[in-house]
Amino acid sequence: MSKIFIVEDDPAIRSELAELLKNAGYETDTTEDFSATAENVLKSAPDLVLLDINIPHANGQQVLRDIRSKSSVPVIMVTSHTSEIDEVLSMSCGADDYVTKPYNPTILLLRISAVLKRSSAKPENNTYNGLELNTAKGILGNGEKEVSLTKNELLIFQQLLDRKGEIVTRDDLMTVLWDNEEYINDNALTVNISRLRAKLADIGCENAIETRKKQGYVLI
Amino acid sequence: MRFKDYIRDRFGAILITLISWFILMLFFRAFRVRMYISSAATCVLFIAGITRLLWDYFRRKSFYDSIKNSCEGLDKKYLLHEMIEKPDFAEGIIVYDALCEANKSMCENVAEHRRKSEDFREYIELWVHEIKLPVASLLLMSHNDGESGNKYSEQLKRIDDYIENVLYYARSENAEKDYIIKEVSLKRIFGNIAVKNREELLQRNVGISTEGLDRAVMTDAKWLEYILGQLLGNSMKYIAEGREPEIHISAEEKDDRTVLHFRDNGIGIPASDLPYIFEKSYTGENGRTRSRSTGMGLYIVKSLCDRLGHTVSADSVQGEYTDIMISFGKNEYITMQE
Repeated sequence: MSKIFIVEDDPAIRSELAELLKNAGYETDTTEDFSATAENVLKSAPDLVLLDINIPHANGQQVLRDIRSKSSVPVIMVTSHTSEIDEVLSMSCGADDYVTKPYNPTILLLRISAVLKRSSAKPENNTYNGLELNTAKGILGNGEKEVSLTKNELLIFQQLLDRKGEIVTRDDLMTVLWDNEEYINDNALTVNISRLRAKLADIGCENAIETRKKQGYVLI
Repeated sequence: MRFKDYIRDRFGAILITLISWFILMLFFRAFRVRMYISSAATCVLFIAGITRLLWDYFRRKSFYDSIKNSCEGLDKKYLLHEMIEKPDFAEGIIVYDALCEANKSMCENVAEHRRKSEDFREYIELWVHEIKLPVASLLLMSHNDGESGNKYSEQLKRIDDYIENVLYYARSENAEKDYIIKEVSLKRIFGNIAVKNREELLQRNVGISTEGLDRAVMTDAKWLEYILGQLLGNSMKYIAEGREPEIHISAEEKDDRTVLHFRDNGIGIPASDLPYIFEKSYTGENGRTRSRSTGMGLYIVKSLCDRLGHTVSADSVQGEYTDIMISFGKNEYITMQE
Protein backbone atom coordinates (compact mmCIF):
# COMPACT_ATOMS: atom_id res chain seq x y z
CA MET A 1 0.00 0.00 0.00
CA SER A 2 1.46 3.36 -0.99
CA LYS A 3 1.74 6.02 1.65
CA ILE A 4 0.82 9.58 0.76
CA PHE A 5 1.81 12.56 2.86
CA ILE A 6 -0.63 15.47 2.78
CA VAL A 7 0.72 18.96 3.39
CA GLU A 8 -2.35 21.17 3.60
CA ASP A 9 -3.15 23.85 6.16
CA ASP A 10 -6.91 23.96 5.65
CA PRO A 11 -8.26 21.39 8.15
CA ALA A 12 -11.46 20.68 6.19
CA ILE A 13 -9.63 19.96 2.96
CA ARG A 14 -7.00 17.95 4.84
CA SER A 15 -9.48 15.56 6.41
CA GLU A 16 -11.57 15.19 3.25
CA LEU A 17 -8.46 14.56 1.22
CA ALA A 18 -7.35 11.91 3.70
CA GLU A 19 -10.74 10.24 3.44
CA LEU A 20 -10.67 10.33 -0.35
CA LEU A 21 -7.23 8.74 -0.44
CA LYS A 22 -8.15 6.12 2.19
CA ASN A 23 -11.20 5.15 0.15
CA ALA A 24 -8.96 4.80 -2.86
CA GLY A 25 -6.73 2.39 -0.94
CA TYR A 26 -3.84 4.60 0.08
CA GLU A 27 -2.30 5.04 3.48
CA THR A 28 -2.11 8.70 4.51
CA ASP A 29 -0.03 10.76 6.85
CA THR A 30 -0.23 14.45 7.58
CA THR A 31 1.06 17.22 9.78
CA GLU A 32 -0.44 20.15 11.62
CA ASP A 33 2.86 21.75 12.40
CA PHE A 34 4.22 23.71 9.47
CA SER A 35 7.34 25.10 11.12
CA ALA A 36 9.43 22.18 9.92
CA THR A 37 7.38 20.73 7.11
CA ALA A 38 10.23 19.32 5.07
CA GLU A 39 11.64 17.40 8.08
CA ASN A 40 8.21 16.02 8.94
CA VAL A 41 7.72 14.82 5.41
CA LEU A 42 11.12 13.16 5.25
CA LYS A 43 10.67 11.54 8.67
CA SER A 44 7.44 9.93 7.53
CA ALA A 45 9.15 8.51 4.40
CA PRO A 46 6.09 8.54 2.15
CA ASP A 47 5.79 7.23 -1.40
CA LEU A 48 4.28 10.49 -2.58
CA VAL A 49 3.72 14.02 -1.21
CA LEU A 50 0.73 16.25 -1.91
CA LEU A 51 2.12 19.70 -1.24
CA ASP A 52 0.09 22.89 -0.97
CA ILE A 53 1.88 26.07 -2.05
CA ASN A 54 0.18 28.34 0.47
CA ILE A 55 1.21 27.01 3.83
CA PRO A 56 2.19 28.93 6.96
CA HIS A 57 5.84 29.73 7.72
CA ALA A 58 7.50 28.70 4.47
CA ASN A 59 6.07 28.70 1.02
CA GLY A 60 5.48 25.39 -0.72
CA GLN A 61 8.17 25.93 -3.30
CA GLN A 62 10.72 26.45 -0.54
CA VAL A 63 9.55 23.27 1.19
CA LEU A 64 9.80 21.46 -2.12
CA ARG A 65 13.38 22.63 -2.56
CA ASP A 66 14.21 21.42 0.97
CA ILE A 67 12.68 18.02 0.26
CA ARG A 68 14.45 17.77 -3.09
CA SER A 69 17.82 18.48 -1.51
CA LYS A 70 17.52 15.25 0.49
CA SER A 71 15.07 13.00 -1.33
CA SER A 72 13.62 12.30 -4.74
CA VAL A 73 10.18 11.32 -3.44
CA PRO A 74 7.48 12.20 -6.00
CA VAL A 75 5.72 15.49 -5.20
CA ILE A 76 2.44 16.78 -6.61
CA MET A 77 1.89 20.49 -6.02
CA VAL A 78 -1.66 21.41 -5.12
CA THR A 79 -2.67 25.04 -5.22
CA SER A 80 -5.48 27.49 -5.68
CA HIS A 81 -3.21 29.75 -7.73
CA THR A 82 -4.20 29.43 -11.34
CA SER A 83 -1.18 31.09 -12.77
CA GLU A 84 1.33 29.76 -15.23
CA ILE A 85 4.13 31.46 -13.32
CA ASP A 86 3.47 29.35 -10.21
CA GLU A 87 3.33 26.19 -12.27
CA VAL A 88 6.56 26.87 -14.10
CA LEU A 89 8.26 27.78 -10.82
CA SER A 90 7.00 24.62 -9.10
CA MET A 91 8.02 22.35 -11.95
CA SER A 92 11.47 23.93 -12.04
CA CYS A 93 11.81 23.25 -8.29
CA GLY A 94 11.33 19.59 -9.06
CA ALA A 95 7.60 18.92 -8.70
CA ASP A 96 6.32 15.89 -10.59
CA ASP A 97 2.89 17.31 -11.29
CA TYR A 98 0.82 20.39 -10.60
CA VAL A 99 -2.91 20.36 -9.78
CA THR A 100 -5.06 23.42 -9.19
CA LYS A 101 -7.84 23.67 -6.63
CA PRO A 102 -10.67 22.94 -6.76
CA TYR A 103 -9.61 19.69 -8.36
CA ASN A 104 -11.85 17.00 -9.66
CA PRO A 105 -11.24 14.16 -7.14
CA THR A 106 -11.22 11.46 -9.84
CA ILE A 107 -8.60 13.35 -11.81
CA LEU A 108 -6.52 13.90 -8.69
CA LEU A 109 -6.53 10.14 -8.00
CA LEU A 110 -5.61 9.48 -11.61
CA ARG A 111 -2.67 11.86 -11.42
CA ILE A 112 -1.52 10.29 -8.16
CA SER A 113 -1.57 6.80 -9.61
CA ALA A 114 0.19 8.02 -12.76
CA VAL A 115 2.98 9.66 -10.76
CA LEU A 116 3.30 6.62 -8.48
CA LYS A 117 3.49 4.34 -11.50
CA ARG A 118 6.21 6.43 -13.10
CA SER A 119 8.30 6.48 -9.94
CA SER A 120 7.89 2.89 -8.80
CA ALA A 121 11.00 0.88 -9.58
CA LYS A 122 9.28 -2.46 -9.86
CA PRO A 123 8.25 -3.46 -13.35
CA GLU A 124 4.59 -3.14 -14.15
CA ASN A 125 2.44 -6.17 -13.82
CA ASN A 126 1.54 -6.81 -17.41
CA THR A 127 0.50 -10.43 -17.26
CA TYR A 128 -2.95 -11.83 -16.84
CA ASN A 129 -3.72 -15.56 -16.67
CA GLY A 130 -0.57 -16.38 -18.60
CA LEU A 131 -1.32 -13.72 -21.17
CA GLU A 132 1.18 -10.98 -21.65
CA LEU A 133 0.16 -7.43 -22.44
CA ASN A 134 2.53 -5.58 -24.71
CA THR A 135 1.50 -1.97 -24.27
CA ALA A 136 3.92 -0.62 -26.87
CA LYS A 137 2.54 -2.86 -29.61
CA GLY A 138 -0.98 -3.05 -28.23
CA ILE A 139 -0.93 -6.83 -28.31
CA LEU A 140 -2.28 -9.30 -25.76
CA GLY A 141 -1.23 -12.92 -26.13
CA ASN A 142 0.55 -16.00 -24.80
CA GLY A 143 2.89 -16.79 -27.67
CA GLU A 144 0.47 -19.08 -29.47
CA LYS A 145 -2.61 -16.98 -29.75
CA GLU A 146 -2.69 -13.22 -29.69
CA VAL A 147 -5.10 -10.37 -30.32
CA SER A 148 -4.36 -6.74 -31.07
CA LEU A 149 -6.20 -4.16 -29.04
CA THR A 150 -7.21 -0.69 -30.12
CA LYS A 151 -6.00 2.26 -28.07
CA ASN A 152 -9.28 2.46 -26.19
CA GLU A 153 -9.41 -1.25 -25.44
CA LEU A 154 -5.81 -1.13 -24.31
CA LEU A 155 -6.49 1.75 -21.92
CA ILE A 156 -9.53 -0.03 -20.48
CA PHE A 157 -7.75 -3.36 -20.09
CA GLN A 158 -4.70 -1.71 -18.53
CA GLN A 159 -6.89 0.06 -15.99
CA LEU A 160 -8.77 -3.14 -15.12
CA LEU A 161 -5.51 -5.07 -14.87
CA ASP A 162 -3.90 -2.48 -12.58
CA ARG A 163 -6.81 -2.86 -10.20
CA LYS A 164 -7.41 -6.57 -10.75
CA GLY A 165 -10.13 -7.94 -8.49
CA GLU A 166 -11.42 -4.47 -7.60
CA ILE A 167 -14.49 -2.78 -8.94
CA VAL A 168 -13.58 -0.18 -11.54
CA THR A 169 -16.44 2.24 -12.14
CA ARG A 170 -17.49 3.43 -15.57
CA ASP A 171 -16.62 6.91 -14.36
CA ASP A 172 -13.04 5.82 -13.61
CA LEU A 173 -12.73 4.28 -17.07
CA MET A 174 -14.13 7.40 -18.68
CA THR A 175 -11.67 9.57 -16.79
CA VAL A 176 -8.77 7.45 -17.98
CA LEU A 177 -9.96 7.52 -21.59
CA TRP A 178 -10.65 11.24 -21.62
CA ASP A 179 -7.35 11.93 -19.93
CA ASN A 180 -5.74 10.18 -22.90
CA GLU A 181 -7.58 12.40 -25.38
CA GLU A 182 -10.15 9.77 -26.32
CA TYR A 183 -13.38 11.74 -26.02
CA ILE A 184 -15.87 8.88 -26.26
CA ASN A 185 -19.42 8.78 -24.94
CA ASP A 186 -21.28 6.27 -22.80
CA ASN A 187 -22.45 4.10 -25.69
CA ALA A 188 -18.96 3.93 -27.15
CA LEU A 189 -17.63 2.77 -23.78
CA THR A 190 -20.18 -0.06 -23.68
CA VAL A 191 -19.22 -1.03 -27.23
CA ASN A 192 -15.52 -0.99 -26.36
CA ILE A 193 -16.08 -3.18 -23.31
CA SER A 194 -18.04 -5.76 -25.29
CA ARG A 195 -15.39 -5.81 -28.02
CA LEU A 196 -12.72 -6.28 -25.38
CA ARG A 197 -14.73 -9.17 -23.92
CA ALA A 198 -15.05 -10.77 -27.34
CA LYS A 199 -11.31 -10.47 -27.95
CA LEU A 200 -10.54 -11.98 -24.54
CA ALA A 201 -12.93 -14.83 -25.30
CA ASP A 202 -11.09 -15.39 -28.59
CA ILE A 203 -7.89 -16.24 -26.75
CA GLY A 204 -9.57 -18.42 -24.18
CA CYS A 205 -10.47 -16.00 -21.40
CA GLU A 206 -14.22 -16.05 -21.37
CA ASN A 207 -16.08 -14.08 -18.72
CA ALA A 208 -12.87 -12.41 -17.62
CA ILE A 209 -14.63 -9.07 -17.16
CA GLU A 210 -17.59 -9.18 -14.86
CA THR A 211 -20.27 -6.52 -14.74
CA ARG A 212 -21.38 -5.33 -11.32
CA LYS A 213 -24.75 -3.72 -11.67
CA LYS A 214 -24.69 0.02 -10.97
CA GLN A 215 -21.09 -0.20 -9.80
CA GLY A 216 -18.76 -1.03 -12.64
CA TYR A 217 -16.54 -3.79 -13.91
CA VAL A 218 -14.20 -6.29 -12.29
CA LEU A 219 -11.40 -8.23 -13.93
CA ILE A 220 -11.27 -11.63 -12.28
CA MET B 1 -5.96 83.09 -34.41
CA ARG B 2 -7.38 85.22 -37.19
CA PHE B 3 -6.66 88.94 -37.38
CA LYS B 4 -10.37 89.69 -37.74
CA ASP B 5 -11.10 87.91 -34.47
CA TYR B 6 -8.25 89.70 -32.76
CA ILE B 7 -9.54 93.12 -33.90
CA ARG B 8 -13.07 92.29 -32.85
CA ASP B 9 -11.70 91.32 -29.45
CA ARG B 10 -9.83 94.66 -29.20
CA PHE B 11 -12.86 96.66 -30.38
CA GLY B 12 -13.24 98.52 -27.06
CA ALA B 13 -9.59 99.55 -26.92
CA ILE B 14 -9.68 100.75 -30.51
CA LEU B 15 -12.86 102.71 -29.86
CA ILE B 16 -11.32 104.40 -26.82
CA THR B 17 -8.24 105.32 -28.88
CA LEU B 18 -10.47 106.81 -31.60
CA ILE B 19 -12.51 108.76 -29.06
CA SER B 20 -9.37 110.15 -27.42
CA TRP B 21 -8.03 111.10 -30.86
CA PHE B 22 -11.34 112.89 -31.56
CA ILE B 23 -11.18 114.74 -28.23
CA LEU B 24 -7.55 115.65 -28.96
CA MET B 25 -8.62 117.05 -32.33
CA LEU B 26 -11.33 119.09 -30.61
CA PHE B 27 -8.70 120.50 -28.24
CA PHE B 28 -6.37 121.31 -31.15
CA ARG B 29 -9.27 123.05 -32.91
CA ALA B 30 -10.21 124.99 -29.75
CA PHE B 31 -6.61 126.20 -29.25
CA ARG B 32 -6.32 126.92 -32.96
CA VAL B 33 -3.29 124.70 -33.39
CA ARG B 34 -1.95 124.72 -36.88
CA MET B 35 -3.20 122.14 -39.32
CA TYR B 36 0.18 120.41 -39.98
CA ILE B 37 0.82 119.90 -36.25
CA SER B 38 -2.52 118.20 -35.79
CA SER B 39 -1.87 116.11 -38.94
CA ALA B 40 1.53 115.08 -37.61
CA ALA B 41 0.02 114.19 -34.24
CA THR B 42 -2.68 112.12 -36.01
CA CYS B 43 -0.04 110.29 -38.07
CA VAL B 44 2.12 109.48 -35.04
CA LEU B 45 -0.91 108.36 -33.09
CA PHE B 46 -2.21 106.08 -35.85
CA ILE B 47 1.17 104.58 -36.76
CA ALA B 48 1.86 103.93 -33.08
CA GLY B 49 -1.59 102.41 -32.59
CA ILE B 50 -1.39 100.10 -35.63
CA THR B 51 2.17 99.02 -34.89
CA ARG B 52 1.22 98.22 -31.33
CA LEU B 53 -1.78 96.20 -32.51
CA LEU B 54 0.23 94.24 -35.09
CA TRP B 55 3.13 93.56 -32.74
CA ASP B 56 0.80 92.38 -30.00
CA TYR B 57 -1.21 90.33 -32.50
CA PHE B 58 1.79 88.42 -33.83
CA ARG B 59 3.21 87.78 -30.37
CA ARG B 60 -0.05 86.25 -29.20
CA LYS B 61 -0.70 84.53 -32.48
CA SER B 62 2.43 82.33 -32.26
CA PHE B 63 1.50 81.16 -28.75
CA TYR B 64 -2.20 80.51 -29.29
CA ASP B 65 -1.65 78.99 -32.72
CA SER B 66 0.84 76.53 -31.25
CA ILE B 67 -1.74 75.62 -28.56
CA LYS B 68 -4.44 75.12 -31.17
CA ASN B 69 -2.30 73.12 -33.58
CA SER B 70 -0.84 70.90 -30.87
CA CYS B 71 -4.27 70.29 -29.48
CA GLU B 72 -5.61 69.23 -32.86
CA GLY B 73 -2.58 67.12 -33.70
CA LEU B 74 -2.19 65.39 -30.37
CA ASP B 75 -3.55 61.93 -29.73
CA LYS B 76 -3.27 62.32 -25.97
CA LYS B 77 -4.46 65.90 -25.50
CA TYR B 78 -3.37 66.03 -21.88
CA LEU B 79 0.24 66.22 -23.05
CA LEU B 80 -0.50 69.69 -24.49
CA HIS B 81 1.72 71.62 -22.10
CA GLU B 82 4.69 69.49 -23.10
CA MET B 83 4.27 70.59 -26.71
CA ILE B 84 4.16 74.38 -26.31
CA GLU B 85 6.90 76.77 -25.33
CA LYS B 86 6.56 79.10 -22.40
CA PRO B 87 5.36 82.44 -23.82
CA ASP B 88 6.97 85.82 -23.04
CA PHE B 89 3.83 87.81 -22.23
CA ALA B 90 2.05 87.94 -18.89
CA GLU B 91 -1.36 86.49 -19.81
CA GLY B 92 0.27 83.67 -21.75
CA ILE B 93 2.43 82.81 -18.75
CA ILE B 94 -0.69 82.59 -16.59
CA VAL B 95 -2.34 80.24 -19.09
CA TYR B 96 0.83 78.18 -19.45
CA ASP B 97 1.30 77.80 -15.69
CA ALA B 98 -2.37 76.92 -15.25
CA LEU B 99 -2.06 74.20 -17.91
CA CYS B 100 0.97 72.73 -16.16
CA GLU B 101 -0.78 72.80 -12.79
CA ALA B 102 -3.94 71.20 -14.20
CA ASN B 103 -1.92 68.47 -15.84
CA LYS B 104 0.02 67.73 -12.70
CA SER B 105 -3.13 67.41 -10.65
CA MET B 106 -4.68 65.18 -13.31
CA CYS B 107 -1.65 62.92 -13.25
CA GLU B 108 -1.98 62.60 -9.50
CA ASN B 109 -5.65 61.86 -9.86
CA VAL B 110 -5.03 59.19 -12.49
CA ALA B 111 -2.27 57.65 -10.41
CA GLU B 112 -4.58 57.45 -7.42
CA HIS B 113 -7.26 55.69 -9.44
CA ARG B 114 -4.72 53.36 -10.96
CA ARG B 115 -3.51 52.51 -7.47
CA LYS B 116 -7.06 51.90 -6.35
CA SER B 117 -7.89 49.63 -9.28
CA GLU B 118 -4.61 47.80 -8.77
CA ASP B 119 -5.46 47.29 -5.09
CA PHE B 120 -8.89 46.08 -6.09
CA ARG B 121 -7.47 43.62 -8.59
CA GLU B 122 -5.03 42.31 -6.02
CA TYR B 123 -7.86 41.86 -3.59
CA ILE B 124 -9.91 40.01 -6.22
CA GLU B 125 -6.99 37.65 -6.90
CA LEU B 126 -6.60 37.04 -3.20
CA TRP B 127 -10.31 36.58 -2.73
CA VAL B 128 -10.48 34.11 -5.60
CA HIS B 129 -7.72 32.03 -4.03
CA GLU B 130 -9.51 32.11 -0.70
CA ILE B 131 -12.94 31.22 -2.02
CA LYS B 132 -11.45 28.29 -3.88
CA LEU B 133 -10.53 26.60 -0.61
CA PRO B 134 -14.10 26.05 0.60
CA VAL B 135 -15.13 25.10 -2.93
CA ALA B 136 -12.33 22.55 -3.02
CA SER B 137 -13.29 21.05 0.32
CA LEU B 138 -16.98 20.95 -0.67
CA LEU B 139 -16.07 19.15 -3.89
CA LEU B 140 -14.11 16.58 -1.90
CA MET B 141 -16.97 16.20 0.58
CA SER B 142 -19.53 15.67 -2.15
CA HIS B 143 -17.25 13.14 -3.82
CA ASN B 144 -16.70 11.27 -0.55
CA ASP B 145 -20.48 11.19 -0.11
CA GLY B 146 -20.77 8.99 -3.17
CA GLU B 147 -23.80 8.94 -5.45
CA SER B 148 -25.83 11.58 -3.59
CA GLY B 149 -22.95 14.04 -3.84
CA ASN B 150 -23.06 14.29 -7.63
CA LYS B 151 -25.74 16.93 -7.76
CA TYR B 152 -23.70 19.10 -5.42
CA SER B 153 -20.62 18.67 -7.57
CA GLU B 154 -22.49 20.05 -10.56
CA GLN B 155 -23.47 23.21 -8.71
CA LEU B 156 -19.98 23.55 -7.27
CA LYS B 157 -18.59 23.38 -10.78
CA ARG B 158 -20.89 26.26 -11.74
CA ILE B 159 -19.66 28.27 -8.78
CA ASP B 160 -16.08 27.58 -9.79
CA ASP B 161 -16.79 28.72 -13.36
CA TYR B 162 -18.23 32.01 -12.14
CA ILE B 163 -15.22 32.51 -9.88
CA GLU B 164 -12.88 31.96 -12.81
CA ASN B 165 -14.79 34.58 -14.79
CA VAL B 166 -14.13 37.19 -12.12
CA LEU B 167 -10.46 36.25 -11.92
CA TYR B 168 -9.86 36.46 -15.65
CA TYR B 169 -11.91 39.62 -16.03
CA ALA B 170 -9.69 41.27 -13.44
CA ARG B 171 -6.62 39.93 -15.21
CA SER B 172 -7.73 41.01 -18.66
CA GLU B 173 -8.36 44.58 -17.52
CA ASN B 174 -5.02 44.99 -15.87
CA ALA B 175 -1.94 46.40 -17.51
CA GLU B 176 0.46 44.28 -15.52
CA LYS B 177 2.17 41.42 -17.28
CA ASP B 178 1.24 38.39 -15.23
CA TYR B 179 1.43 35.73 -17.90
CA ILE B 180 4.19 33.60 -19.35
CA ILE B 181 4.36 32.95 -23.05
CA LYS B 182 5.97 29.64 -23.87
CA GLU B 183 5.49 26.69 -26.14
CA VAL B 184 2.27 24.94 -25.22
CA SER B 185 0.72 21.83 -26.71
CA LEU B 186 -2.80 22.44 -27.99
CA LYS B 187 -3.63 18.81 -27.35
CA ARG B 188 -2.77 19.04 -23.69
CA ILE B 189 -4.68 22.27 -23.13
CA PHE B 190 -7.80 21.00 -24.82
CA GLY B 191 -7.43 17.69 -22.96
CA ASN B 192 -7.48 19.51 -19.61
CA ILE B 193 -10.60 21.42 -20.59
CA ALA B 194 -12.38 18.35 -21.94
CA VAL B 195 -11.67 16.32 -18.81
CA LYS B 196 -12.83 19.19 -16.62
CA ASN B 197 -16.14 19.43 -18.49
CA ARG B 198 -16.56 15.71 -19.06
CA GLU B 199 -19.71 15.21 -16.99
CA GLU B 200 -21.57 18.03 -18.71
CA LEU B 201 -20.45 16.99 -22.18
CA LEU B 202 -21.54 13.41 -21.61
CA GLN B 203 -24.83 14.51 -20.10
CA ARG B 204 -25.64 16.55 -23.19
CA ASN B 205 -24.27 13.76 -25.38
CA VAL B 206 -21.89 16.08 -27.20
CA GLY B 207 -19.63 14.38 -29.72
CA ILE B 208 -16.08 15.68 -29.73
CA SER B 209 -13.60 15.30 -32.54
CA THR B 210 -10.15 16.79 -32.83
CA GLU B 211 -7.81 17.24 -35.75
CA GLY B 212 -4.23 18.40 -35.96
CA LEU B 213 -3.97 19.35 -32.30
CA ASP B 214 -0.48 17.92 -31.98
CA ARG B 215 0.88 21.35 -32.78
CA ALA B 216 2.49 23.63 -30.26
CA VAL B 217 1.72 27.34 -30.06
CA MET B 218 3.26 30.24 -28.16
CA THR B 219 0.86 31.29 -25.44
CA ASP B 220 0.12 31.24 -21.71
CA ALA B 221 -1.27 27.80 -20.91
CA LYS B 222 -3.62 28.88 -18.12
CA TRP B 223 -5.11 31.75 -20.10
CA LEU B 224 -5.65 29.63 -23.17
CA GLU B 225 -7.25 26.97 -20.99
CA TYR B 226 -9.70 29.56 -19.72
CA ILE B 227 -10.38 30.84 -23.25
CA LEU B 228 -11.13 27.35 -24.59
CA GLY B 229 -13.24 26.67 -21.49
CA GLN B 230 -15.37 29.70 -22.30
CA LEU B 231 -15.83 28.59 -25.91
CA LEU B 232 -16.76 25.09 -24.78
CA GLY B 233 -19.23 26.55 -22.28
CA ASN B 234 -20.85 28.60 -25.05
CA SER B 235 -21.12 25.59 -27.33
CA MET B 236 -22.86 23.63 -24.57
CA LYS B 237 -25.17 26.55 -23.87
CA TYR B 238 -26.33 27.05 -27.44
CA ILE B 239 -27.03 23.51 -28.59
CA ALA B 240 -29.46 23.23 -31.50
CA GLU B 241 -32.44 20.95 -31.04
CA GLY B 242 -33.11 18.08 -33.39
CA ARG B 243 -29.57 17.02 -34.15
CA GLU B 244 -26.67 15.39 -32.33
CA PRO B 245 -24.51 18.14 -30.85
CA GLU B 246 -20.98 18.04 -32.18
CA ILE B 247 -17.86 20.04 -31.46
CA HIS B 248 -14.92 19.90 -33.83
CA ILE B 249 -11.61 21.37 -32.77
CA SER B 250 -8.90 21.61 -35.37
CA ALA B 251 -5.67 23.47 -35.93
CA GLU B 252 -4.21 24.43 -39.27
CA GLU B 253 -0.80 25.72 -40.08
CA LYS B 254 -0.47 28.90 -42.14
CA ASP B 255 2.75 30.56 -43.25
CA ASP B 256 3.03 32.97 -40.39
CA ARG B 257 0.53 31.65 -37.87
CA THR B 258 -1.35 28.68 -36.50
CA VAL B 259 -5.12 28.94 -36.57
CA LEU B 260 -7.26 27.06 -34.08
CA HIS B 261 -10.85 26.44 -35.15
CA PHE B 262 -13.47 25.81 -32.51
CA ARG B 263 -16.55 24.77 -34.42
CA ASP B 264 -19.90 23.54 -33.16
CA ASN B 265 -23.15 22.71 -34.92
CA GLY B 266 -25.22 24.74 -32.48
CA ILE B 267 -27.87 27.37 -33.13
CA GLY B 268 -25.35 29.78 -34.64
CA ILE B 269 -25.29 33.58 -34.41
CA PRO B 270 -27.58 35.88 -36.43
CA ALA B 271 -25.61 37.77 -39.09
CA SER B 272 -26.71 41.09 -37.58
CA ASP B 273 -25.21 40.15 -34.21
CA LEU B 274 -21.98 38.66 -35.52
CA PRO B 275 -19.91 41.87 -35.73
CA TYR B 276 -20.64 42.73 -32.10
CA ILE B 277 -20.27 39.45 -30.21
CA PHE B 278 -16.87 40.38 -28.76
CA GLU B 279 -18.12 43.68 -27.38
CA LYS B 280 -18.55 44.20 -23.67
CA SER B 281 -22.01 43.44 -22.31
CA TYR B 282 -23.36 42.64 -25.78
CA THR B 283 -25.91 39.85 -25.46
CA GLY B 284 -27.57 39.77 -28.88
CA GLU B 285 -30.59 37.77 -29.87
CA ASN B 286 -29.34 34.43 -28.52
CA GLY B 287 -28.42 35.90 -25.18
CA ARG B 288 -31.86 37.47 -24.78
CA THR B 289 -34.02 34.63 -26.00
CA ARG B 290 -32.15 31.47 -25.05
CA SER B 291 -30.61 31.91 -21.66
CA ARG B 292 -29.46 34.58 -19.32
CA SER B 293 -26.28 35.94 -20.76
CA THR B 294 -24.04 38.57 -19.25
CA GLY B 295 -22.28 39.37 -22.50
CA MET B 296 -18.96 39.12 -20.70
CA GLY B 297 -17.63 35.71 -21.80
CA LEU B 298 -16.52 36.53 -25.32
CA TYR B 299 -15.47 40.03 -24.29
CA ILE B 300 -13.04 38.54 -21.76
CA VAL B 301 -11.89 36.03 -24.38
CA LYS B 302 -11.16 38.88 -26.77
CA SER B 303 -9.28 41.01 -24.25
CA LEU B 304 -7.18 38.05 -23.12
CA CYS B 305 -6.38 37.24 -26.77
CA ASP B 306 -5.47 40.88 -27.40
CA ARG B 307 -3.12 40.91 -24.46
CA LEU B 308 -1.46 37.67 -25.52
CA GLY B 309 -1.16 38.94 -29.09
CA HIS B 310 -3.56 36.43 -30.63
CA THR B 311 -6.39 37.46 -32.91
CA VAL B 312 -9.84 36.02 -32.45
CA SER B 313 -12.66 36.09 -34.98
CA ALA B 314 -15.96 34.36 -35.56
CA ASP B 315 -17.81 32.89 -38.47
CA SER B 316 -21.35 31.60 -38.22
CA VAL B 317 -24.53 30.76 -40.08
CA GLN B 318 -27.63 30.98 -37.98
CA GLY B 319 -29.15 27.59 -37.38
CA GLU B 320 -26.11 25.76 -38.74
CA TYR B 321 -22.78 26.34 -37.06
CA THR B 322 -20.48 28.68 -35.18
CA ASP B 323 -16.76 28.71 -35.82
CA ILE B 324 -14.50 30.70 -33.50
CA MET B 325 -10.98 31.10 -34.81
CA ILE B 326 -7.92 32.00 -32.78
CA SER B 327 -4.67 32.71 -34.59
CA PHE B 328 -1.38 32.35 -32.82
CA GLY B 329 1.67 34.08 -34.20
CA LYS B 330 4.68 31.91 -34.81
CA ASN B 331 7.92 32.52 -33.04
CA GLU B 332 10.43 33.35 -35.72
CA TYR B 333 13.35 32.73 -33.42
CA ILE B 334 12.32 29.13 -32.82
CA THR B 335 11.58 28.38 -36.46
CA MET B 336 14.90 29.91 -37.42
CA GLN B 337 16.71 27.61 -35.02
CA GLU B 338 15.01 24.63 -36.50
